[in-house]
Amino acid sequence: MTQSPTLSRRSSSSAHSQPRKSRQRGADARAGYTFLLPWLLGFIALTVGPMISSLYLSFTNYNLFEPPKWIGLDNYTTLFQDERFLQSVGVTVSYVVFGTPLKLAAALAVAMLLNSKRRGQGFYRSAFYAPSLIGASVSIAIVWKAMFGDAGPVDQGLSFFGINLGGWVGNPAMTMPMFILLTVWQFGAPMVIFLAGLKQIPADLYEAASMDGAGPVRKFLNITWPMLSPVIFFNLLMETIHAFQIFASAYIISNGEGGPAGSTLFYTLYLYLRGFSDFRMGYASAMAWLLVIVVGIITLIFFKTSKSWVHYSGDAK
Amino acid sequence: MINRRHFLTTVAVGTASAAALAACGTGSSTSAGETGSAENPVTINYTWWGNDDRAERTRKAIALFEEKNPDIKVNGNFTDFAGYWQKRATEAAGGGLPDVMQWDLSYLRDYGQRNQLLDLGTVNINTDAFEKSLLPSGQIRGKTYGIPTSTNAFAVYYDPAKLASLGIAEPDGTWTYQEFNDFLAEVGAKSNGEIFGGTDYTGVWWMFNIWLRQNNIEAFTEDGKLGFTKDDMKKWWNQTAALRGTPAIVSEERVTQLAPKSPFGSNVTATEVTWDNFMAGYLADSGATELKLAPVPSDDPDNLGLFLKPSMLMVASAKTKYKDAAARFIDFMVNDPEVGQIFKTSRGVPASKTQRDGTTFEGTDKLVVDYEKSIEQYLKDAPEPPIVGFGTLEASFKRVASDLNYGKLTIDGAADAWFKEAEDLIKQNA
Repeated sequence: MTQSPTLSRRSSSSAHSQPRKSRQRGADARAGYTFLLPWLLGFIALTVGPMISSLYLSFTNYNLFEPPKWIGLDNYTTLFQDERFLQSVGVTVSYVVFGTPLKLAAALAVAMLLNSKRRGQGFYRSAFYAPSLIGASVSIAIVWKAMFGDAGPVDQGLSFFGINLGGWVGNPAMTMPMFILLTVWQFGAPMVIFLAGLKQIPADLYEAASMDGAGPVRKFLNITWPMLSPVIFFNLLMETIHAFQIFASAYIISNGEGGPAGSTLFYTLYLYLRGFSDFRMGYASAMAWLLVIVVGIITLIFFKTSKSWVHYSGDAK
Repeated sequence: MINRRHFLTTVAVGTASAAALAACGTGSSTSAGETGSAENPVTINYTWWGNDDRAERTRKAIALFEEKNPDIKVNGNFTDFAGYWQKRATEAAGGGLPDVMQWDLSYLRDYGQRNQLLDLGTVNINTDAFEKSLLPSGQIRGKTYGIPTSTNAFAVYYDPAKLASLGIAEPDGTWTYQEFNDFLAEVGAKSNGEIFGGTDYTGVWWMFNIWLRQNNIEAFTEDGKLGFTKDDMKKWWNQTAALRGTPAIVSEERVTQLAPKSPFGSNVTATEVTWDNFMAGYLADSGATELKLAPVPSDDPDNLGLFLKPSMLMVASAKTKYKDAAARFIDFMVNDPEVGQIFKTSRGVPASKTQRDGTTFEGTDKLVVDYEKSIEQYLKDAPEPPIVGFGTLEASFKRVASDLNYGKLTIDGAADAWFKEAEDLIKQNA
């Protein structure tokens, strides 16, 4: 692999030796921040501000109507005695653990199929990407609910093959598979990123491997996987974070209740119900911050472990 | 080629952050309220929950009001019941509740006690034509926050055509719980499970409340605590223990699939226990030509535990700038006979005698009015507005009972779960 010095290293060393350029760069930075200003203002007012106040509220008993009263860590400690909270954690974790790898596997498989040179690839690429554009919408959640209901197409289709499950929507054991199918079906976004990654792998590596008599499995394990590992890492990280935040489809399919029997009580749905149905905004804020912390820790763990399996070009190993 | 440094610096790690809304405004209001004129009318906002049918009726009522009051314009807005309360909570937090709102007894304390609603005793609304026993249900600690538009009472709906097709006699109007259970089981057995007897009535909070009253227990004490014990609750959920999982009761799977439509409205059950003003909705949903009402079962024939509840109330925001206009609109909506003609019994039976006498009831509307007359001798005082957070308790009662039907909880476990939530909530709001 080619060993080229990185762009940033080269420019930082030149900044040291040439002060005039540095002044120039200062002006550039000012102009840059000026152009960023509208976005920055929005970011501070609409994201950072509410986040800080929700951090404060998580230590209070704020109920939307009365001024918040400081109660210390009470919200955080009650969380772990709240059975519904623990249930929502269980539901969300099983969704993340099963849904995300399946979705990524589907995305990678389809990306590899689309990576070959065939006629009409542009069409297939768009067709496979389309579900991820509309998948998170309200209408798809409603369609999903109808499809998996009693005597819906899924029920009828399975009955044709002698599998009588009835409607999935009302069956606590089948709602999770239904949600996982919904997320797997939206594999378009990671697929496009995988496809871009696949295109970056030099064809001569495969050619050389073929010459040495490597089969498709060998090529995948020894060339595609290591060469693609930064992209896999990126997709895994983003999709995991994304999966923790599932809300709209769960809200719509369960009529905003998290039923049947709490099987669709996702973390964010319970957070919403606590805040806006039970008026316990302090409690909901504590839940939100706990989620931020947990997702932060998971991200950190991902980065730590990535050293052992993610390979970048230019690395010594 | 993908380079580590380049790659890591371009990856922006988005962290999950569910941002909580935190704007808490305190608006000021003028004491007298602004008034308008025909040339320069004031506009008040009115919001309600309901279906398209109610929206159309409300539109007619508003048009009539504007015709009679050229100095006021009414801007109407509606959603379904569940979304309604989430919207109000957000608006209240932002200090922007609509001027006039349709309201439910379950949420009167939550908002009234927290100074979100206007004391209607300070404005001019005529309540002379109301039953004196009904008005306290809109009052908290001596202040009037809501005026009832209409009343409803609990009843057992049944579909006479379905019963006739199964060769089952119509109920005669008095039954014990055992007789009612046998009736549900008979429907399920004779229809071979095609039609279920009914939904599990022990999952309906108000039916539980009525049963408590039949046993002379008040659901909530005056100081906002629970008036019944865990054992009462277990006894109640045991009432239908033998019926769960049989064709007497529709399975929870079906109920969930059919939501938001009811099993009764979907022609899946032969009976339903609920408020009598659901008649019009059930007729429309099921397409049945006729539905009938019978009183709730009771083991004490002299005490049915029934009462007239305000099916809905009219309230105003404490921060409205147009108190006078809001009061005139509320007065019109609850008292005007022509409004009665527009709504008939779709809001319940009109609470104001002026409005009730000015309305002609025919067909199914007459059925509802006649039912409320027929139970008159059994009626007790309307309950006071339930405790703060009652809406949450009612929802969790339904949820726990549903878990019970799914077999996820035992009766003991269900009672424990509900009591834990209730006690936590009462402690929170104390």
